[in-house]
Parts: sequence; structure tokens; C-alpha cells
Amino acid sequence: MTSPTHAQYLDPHQSRTAEPTPYEKKLAAEIEEVFGSGAHDLPGLVAGLNARDLPAPDGSPWTEETFRTEMRRLGA
Amino acid sequence: MTTDTATPVRPGTPVRPSEVARPGDRTADRLFATGIRNQWYAVCPSDFVPAGGMKRLTLLGEEWLLFRRADGTLHMLEDRCPHRGARLSLGKHLGDRIACWYHGVQVDGTGTVAAVPGLPGCNLEGKQLVAAPHLVETGGAILAYFGDSTHAEPVPLTLPEQLTDPGTTAFLCYAEWNVNWRYAVENLLDPMHGSFLHRDSHSMAEGQTTARFRIRETERGFFFEKTDQSGVNFDWVELCRTGVDWVDLTIPYPPTAGPGGPFGIVGMATPIDEDRCAVFFWRYRKVTGWQRDTWRFLYRTLLEDRHWEVLEQDRVMLEDLRSDADQAENLYQHDLGVVRVRRMYRTEAEAQATGS
Repeated sequence: MTSPTHAQYLDPHQSRTAEPTPYEKKLAAEIEEVFGSGAHDLPGLVAGLNARDLPAPDGSPWTEETFRTEMRRLGA
Repeated sequence: MTTDTATPVRPGTPVRPSEVARPGDRTADRLFATGIRNQWYAVCPSDFVPAGGMKRLTLLGEEWLLFRRADGTLHMLEDRCPHRGARLSLGKHLGDRIACWYHGVQVDGTGTVAAVPGLPGCNLEGKQLVAAPHLVETGGAILAYFGDSTHAEPVPLTLPEQLTDPGTTAFLCYAEWNVNWRYAVENLLDPMHGSFLHRDSHSMAEGQTTARFRIRETERGFFFEKTDQSGVNFDWVELCRTGVDWVDLTIPYPPTAGPGGPFGIVGMATPIDEDRCAVFFWRYRKVTGWQRDTWRFLYRTLLEDRHWEVLEQDRVMLEDLRSDADQAENLYQHDLGVVRVRRMYRTEAEAQATGS
């Protein structure tokens, strides 16, 4: 019934321009884990990430500032 | 079933789609099947029409062409050359106008014939002969006003506040479903399906599988809500009629989604034709600052996939409904919202068909 000019539009990914990198997938999964543990404030989130095996982009432990900056980059 | 006599097209008069002769277009059944007129509808995501680009679409059973100028100005025309009826969408984008491929007739963004190259000075020039609906862009989508011949001027439009509030951030999810638009709307006015169809999902596993519902009137529409549970599952929906018909609802997130409370959905359904519709779901959350950025990051990376799976459950269920599904129902108390919205649209279709 649908002609080529009316192919059904079903795109699961409309909010991103590229597949997330392995780093982004790992970071997202770690953030979800920390949130899932009940930490929903920024200090708790930063502490939770630092307790896991994923440093900030500069290789240092996360700070509130580096986390804000990274999220601004990835979530703008 | 009654059939209107098509109004003759008078040169120099703005043409509305309904004035183009197509038998049966104005019957109540046809309006019910292809969309109530005299209101705004979401058309497509804004990025479907890039600067300098064109996009052909079917909407409300009619053929349309969108084109955007280099400066971003957007236009929509009925996809029909006023000369011989060829598709303007096969033509050339000339910046501020479209040149029909067939004989070169140029139609500008207002639907006015700007030039007839084959016969300069032809009396078609300067006449507005092509329907050119009013447009608005919001939340990453294009909205257009679809009026009938007696309601050419747009009705006032109040956009959903979730799409304009700076304290709320949203992502648009657009999809095309092979089901009549009304089934998509009725699905949204049926919150109880969340506890069953979506029970195996990231956000709707909780709560009771029995409920009592009530309808609560608002200034812009009505709520259809559970009387005995809120904030646990898909527990309420508000139908809003603000020049455009839309629904608002919220669904709790699990703790893994972080601070900011539930996510909400502003939903719209636009008829493509009697068998297909375009659905627009803005997933929104009231978050700012790092919470906003983090939610948006999680959405792009992980949540969008999960939301999509939920939407696919709806699509599979609705697309497999028999086309006469609503002819052999046995409704119960949970279906008050469905009954209400169906009656509302049926009444409007009857009124628009008779011109009352």
C-alpha cells in the first residue's frame, strides 16, 4: 500500500547524530548505576562515579565542575 | 452519507483544499476518517525541511509540499500546480518559489502564481490559486492550520507550555503508524493499557492492574484519570484543545533516571490518510542545569531506545487492529475516555460536514 515516496518513518534514534562511543555508553551506564543506588544530588553522583572505575576525561577523579562540563558537552 | 457540491474555484480567490473538487471530501465519514478541519496539526519534524529543501507529504488525505527558503522561512503549498494539476513537488525550488516541472509555472510561498514563463502576462499571474496554510514551528516540529473554505483564517493557537517553558527540556519522537489517526488518539485516552501492554517496560511495571476512572473537565479539555492511583504508572491523561489537539501525561521514571521526577509526554496525532497517521511524542522533563544535561545525555545514550520499545508496543497493537475494530466493541468503565473523545470528534465531523 505504501509507495516508495511514502515509506513508513520509523527511526528509533532521533536525538543523536552518531552512535554513542564506548566511553559514552560506559559513562551513561555508570551514571545510571549511581542514580539507582539512590544518590540523586551532585556530590553523591560525583562520589559514586569516583568509587567506580571510570575517571573524568582528563584522567583525574571527577569533580562537580568536570562533571558539569562533561554533561554540558554531551547533553546540550 | 451526504456529499457536498464542490464550490467552484474563482480565479483570484484563495483556494482552500476543500474547494478542490473531490467527491465525498466533506462528508462526516470522510472528515472522521481523515481529520477534523479548522484546527492546527503537527506536520513533521522541522529538520525534514532543511534550508533550501523541499518535502512532499500527505496530510489529512491531501497532498502537500513544504519548502524552505535559504533564510529559514518555511512555506507549505497544496501539491498541485494551479495550471494543469501537476505535482509541484516534482518541480524546482527557486529560492522563494517553486517552478512546476511540467510547464514552468512559478508559485510563491503564499500560493500566488509569480510567473507563467510560457506566456508572460498570462492572467494567472498575481493570483493566489494554491492553498498555503499558515505555519508555526515549535519544539522541533512544524504545525500547520487546516481550515475549510469558510474558516480560512487560523484559529488562535496556544502551544503546549512544556514546549515553550525554559524550565522544561524535551525531545521529539516522530513516527508514522499504519493505523487511522483516531485509534492513536484513543490509545492515549486509555491509560489502563499501560499496566498491561507496557507492563514489561522500563517505566510501567508498577501499580495496580485494576482501577476506577473519572473524567474531570478543564478549561481547555478534560482529564481522564484513575481515582485511586496517581504517580505510579500511566495514571492520567489530559486532552487539551488549544487550537491544536494534544495530550499531556506523565509516567514515573525509575531511580536510575536520576533527579527531576517523572518524564512527561506531549502527544499529537495527525492523519496522513484514512489508514495512516503521524504521531508526535515530545518526551519532556522539568530539569535545568546539570540535571537537564545529564538527562539529555542519558536520553540520547540509553533512554531513547527504551522509550522507543514502549512506543513499538503501541504501534504493533494498533497496526494490527482490524479496521472495523470499533464496530464490534464491548466497552467498560475504563473506556470512558475513548468514548468521550470519539463522540467529540464525531460530533465535530457531523457539524463540519453540514457547515453548521
